[in-house]
Amino acid sequence: MATGQTDAPAGREPAAVGAAIPTDSGPGSGRSGGREARPPGRHRPGWVALLARGGVLIALILVVAFFGIAKPDSFLTTNNLSAILQQAAAPAILAIGLTVPLALGEFDLSIGSMVGLGGASALALITLHGVAWPVAVLLALGIGLLVGLVNGVFIAYLGASSFVQTLAMGVILLGVEYLFTNQQTLFSGVPQGYKDLGQSKALFDVNIQIWLALLVAVLMYLFLEQTETGRRIYAVGGNPDAARFAGVSVKRLRVLGFVIVAVAAAITGILITAQGGSSQPNAGVPYLLPAYAAAFLGSATFRPGVFNVPGTVVAVLFLGVITTGLQMLQIATAWINIIQGLVLIAAMLISRLERKHT
Amino acid sequence: MTGEVPVVEVRGLRKTYPGVLAVDDASFTVAPGEILGLVGKNGAGKSTVIKMLAGLVAPDSGEILVDGEPTVLASSHAASVLGISVVHQELALVPRGSVAENVFLGLPYPRRAGLFVDWSELHRRTRTVLERLGLEVDPRVDVQDLSVAQQRMVMIARCLAWDARVVVLDEPTASLTDDEISHLLEVIRQLADAGVAIVYVSHRLEEVLGATDRVVVMRDGSVVADLVTATLTKQTLVAGITGEAKTEESATVHVERTGRPPGAELLRVTGLTRAPALHGVDLTLREGEVLGLAGLVGAGRTELARVLFGVDTPDGGTITVRGKDVVLRSPRAAMRERIALLPEDRRHQGNDTAQSIRKNASLPTLRRYRSAGWLPRPSAAKERAAGEEMVGRLGIKARDTEVAVGTLSGGNQQKVVLAKWLMHGADVFVFDEPTAGIDVEGKADVYGIVGELADQGKAVLFISSDLPELAAVSDRVVVLREGRVVAELTGAQVSESVILHHCYGGEAAVASA
Repeated sequence: MATGQTDAPAGREPAAVGAAIPTDSGPGSGRSGGREARPPGRHRPGWVALLARGGVLIALILVVAFFGIAKPDSFLTTNNLSAILQQAAAPAILAIGLTVPLALGEFDLSIGSMVGLGGASALALITLHGVAWPVAVLLALGIGLLVGLVNGVFIAYLGASSFVQTLAMGVILLGVEYLFTNQQTLFSGVPQGYKDLGQSKALFDVNIQIWLALLVAVLMYLFLEQTETGRRIYAVGGNPDAARFAGVSVKRLRVLGFVIVAVAAAITGILITAQGGSSQPNAGVPYLLPAYAAAFLGSATFRPGVFNVPGTVVAVLFLGVITTGLQMLQIATAWINIIQGLVLIAAMLISRLERKHT
Repeated sequence: MTGEVPVVEVRGLRKTYPGVLAVDDASFTVAPGEILGLVGKNGAGKSTVIKMLAGLVAPDSGEILVDGEPTVLASSHAASVLGISVVHQELALVPRGSVAENVFLGLPYPRRAGLFVDWSELHRRTRTVLERLGLEVDPRVDVQDLSVAQQRMVMIARCLAWDARVVVLDEPTASLTDDEISHLLEVIRQLADAGVAIVYVSHRLEEVLGATDRVVVMRDGSVVADLVTATLTKQTLVAGITGEAKTEESATVHVERTGRPPGAELLRVTGLTRAPALHGVDLTLREGEVLGLAGLVGAGRTELARVLFGVDTPDGGTITVRGKDVVLRSPRAAMRERIALLPEDRRHQGNDTAQSIRKNASLPTLRRYRSAGWLPRPSAAKERAAGEEMVGRLGIKARDTEVAVGTLSGGNQQKVVLAKWLMHGADVFVFDEPTAGIDVEGKADVYGIVGELADQGKAVLFISSDLPELAAVSDRVVVLREGRVVAELTGAQVSESVILHHCYGGEAAVASA
């Protein structure tokens, strides 16, 4: 009787009946609440763990070496490398900003439109309304602050779903951008001072955007990893109820997360328009998905399963290098997209692998 | 009933996790119609054995025989198909799903025209299953609107829907009231009489002694005893579980106290109201006092605890701390008034289980461990020193303070929550079911801390459904019923039977407050 039944359907994952595994005593029990699955903080650097933790960094070194050998005359040149860094700088600021709400267990789909609005509003104020460029920059940053506040307050205090709220906000922001620009490409009358924000090489002949991205990365790293607020942000991401019951102001931190990413998006938008000296309609939305790709790829690195700034930075560089490298090998854009997607999935799988081994 | 072919037999099961031997050698059988008790401390290996039976964990060695045939339980679905169903301690239900959807979760629904769900047939089948359990709820009602006891019944109903021949119940009576427990035990007996084999896992030894036919005792990963229940007493069972020949005295709750009379009033609650649970609660709490809070599930105990800790805001009434009226809008505000809460739902509200003991314990008091006074940067060394002190004081069993809380046993996780508030240094401690699902030694440690806090002049509000425990720990007991204080008991009145009497509200229940 039993022999006939032993070949019952056997899946790897527990079925619904056993969906909640009681872990009151078993070792290796995973987490309970929270949205982002995270591994227990064990110190057992087996080779799988090392590979996963350093995975994206190792991959970055490997692809740099690969392209260096494949295109010895053009890839490892100062010009090319600084071009890669410069291209990666503005998206990096966005991805680093995004790391904060993700670490809180929140997400924001309006950041692409915020990039567009940040740049377009600054340029429109300067070229169409004659506002002095430093004032225009401050106003654009102020719009970012306001957008983050609205998103945060609606989601944290009024209970809006972050999916619907930020999706709707993205649509609204695109509309606001069109109000500013009338859907025109703005390029005439952009002062050199504003362009310098994206083009200046005054410091050690290195583009100012790279310095800014480095500054943002260091500041945000210190903020998330070394301050009390950063510790609380990770506590909220890990288990929001437990954090609240430990006296953490969960709602305030959520608002802070949305403000940080919206301001980061505004900065990114300003840098992009400053570099080009112009603003195209709806230029921000293409920045949305790469920022998520970098943050998620980064969360597979250094602290697997945890969104972290160094991981995000390495991931931005990695994605930038393979894009540029593949372009230099004259591989079609279609294949570049496919390769980038596959890399992201592979990175996820490696970090899952590590989690199973801990 | 024994003597038949066992429906399930486990032989020499062994399971190791990195660095830990979870189960060393587990062998036992369970026959159709038999209720088998499985007891042991947290960490004794019960949970891992259950997981192996549930098909969630594969044994390293040993075998599981179903109807005498060696079997590989590769998934919980495979186990269910073979007739082994596990009712886990945590409720594994879809809260927004109906009773019928939850009962038939994972099973094919009846169909109309082979395509559309035949809801009336599904509800009819569900009613049939519920009738067997004597559960009178509408199959269309959402599970989240049921009481905890009813939800547990729904989980048992699911086992019946799967035609389970073996039902494993892990701590089925946790957070149930006494009459709910006796009803549950009746249902279990009926199932057994109908030929279902039951594995009953519980820390509540009275229930195990009262409800089972045979008891298997696990200690340090191995089965150390397999005895007919009729031959056992609580003493022998406790001795088997702890591995020491302990006297009767240590089997009961014992709290050392200096016996100082309570001091000044710390907390006063007047007319506290919050719909739908609290309807005008009055109570006072003094320095050096342990005030027990009794009541049936739904009486408003946890709701009161939440309001006192600022998690929920009251509709009316006042909370007075040290003679000053306060408004507690958040746990932060409660912390400022030096009130602490050990929440009932330890799993979701207690810890970030992926983080270390150090980071969890220091979270409420992070500012105290700055590397320099003006710099909001936590110093890991200072946190670790404070954490290590707590690990020592509370006897937390962990290699060091960097271990993730999720790797600890339930009792030790509870101690980490306790460590947060000892480090915070509150004056008023609200303990909501602090010993639920914790082993014998862990409970003793919690009682020790409660006594210690009271002796230091702190005030403790102790909520527990375990009445012998409540009677032993409390100086005074307040009984809640339907959101109101119906009795205040002192001195000799603080006994299990008197508390119980007031919980159920017999005619003689006179509010003496």
